[in-house]
Amino acid sequence: MRRALRSFELNAWLAVTTAVYLATLFLVRHHPDWSPWLKLTLTLTPILPGLLYLRNGLQVLQGMDELQRRIQLEGWLFAALGTVVVSTIINVVNLHGLGGDWLPHGLAVGGTYLTMFILWCAGVTIANCRYR
Amino acid sequence: MKNRLKEMRAEREWSQSELAGQLGVSRQTVNAIETGKYDPSLPLAFKISLLFQQPIEQIFVPET
Repeated sequence: MRRALRSFELNAWLAVTTAVYLATLFLVRHHPDWSPWLKLTLTLTPILPGLLYLRNGLQVLQGMDELQRRIQLEGWLFAALGTVVVSTIINVVNLHGLGGDWLPHGLAVGGTYLTMFILWCAGVTIANCRYR
Repeated sequence: MKNRLKEMRAEREWSQSELAGQLGVSRQTVNAIETGKYDPSLPLAFKISLLFQQPIEQIFVPET
């Protein structure tokens, strides 16, 4: 029950972070006349719920069974290292002018998150198979 | 690391789920320890030792 509550709280913070991000993005884009300080403050606002999301994520991780925690950490390590490798490959390809129009500026923020998510899924699946 | 967990569990006629419940871990953890795919943390090894009333070195044996 406690674990389910923590999981719900985690998803709720992710939803809040996304909602705040979209709201601030909308406000900043539709009010170019606002002062740079106000726009900067608004742009950085999603960091607050984002940090609470991270704190909650760490609490969920601490509450896990030790093998599950290990599997998750292996998944995250795989995702982090894999993203570095993918990003480096794309940048090297672009540096030699071989990339064409495909990702001319490397992985953007969205691309980085997507790559990490895909590699995290792969990493957790691999780790799960290893300990099955 | 080799261990006698499966053998000791069988002596008590416990299922993996029952043992997992008593140790406060998942069934996957018990299975991974029994098959030697995962070495438990020291706190969990002490829990196992306490549950089976046997010293750790009689349950877990280093592979030579």
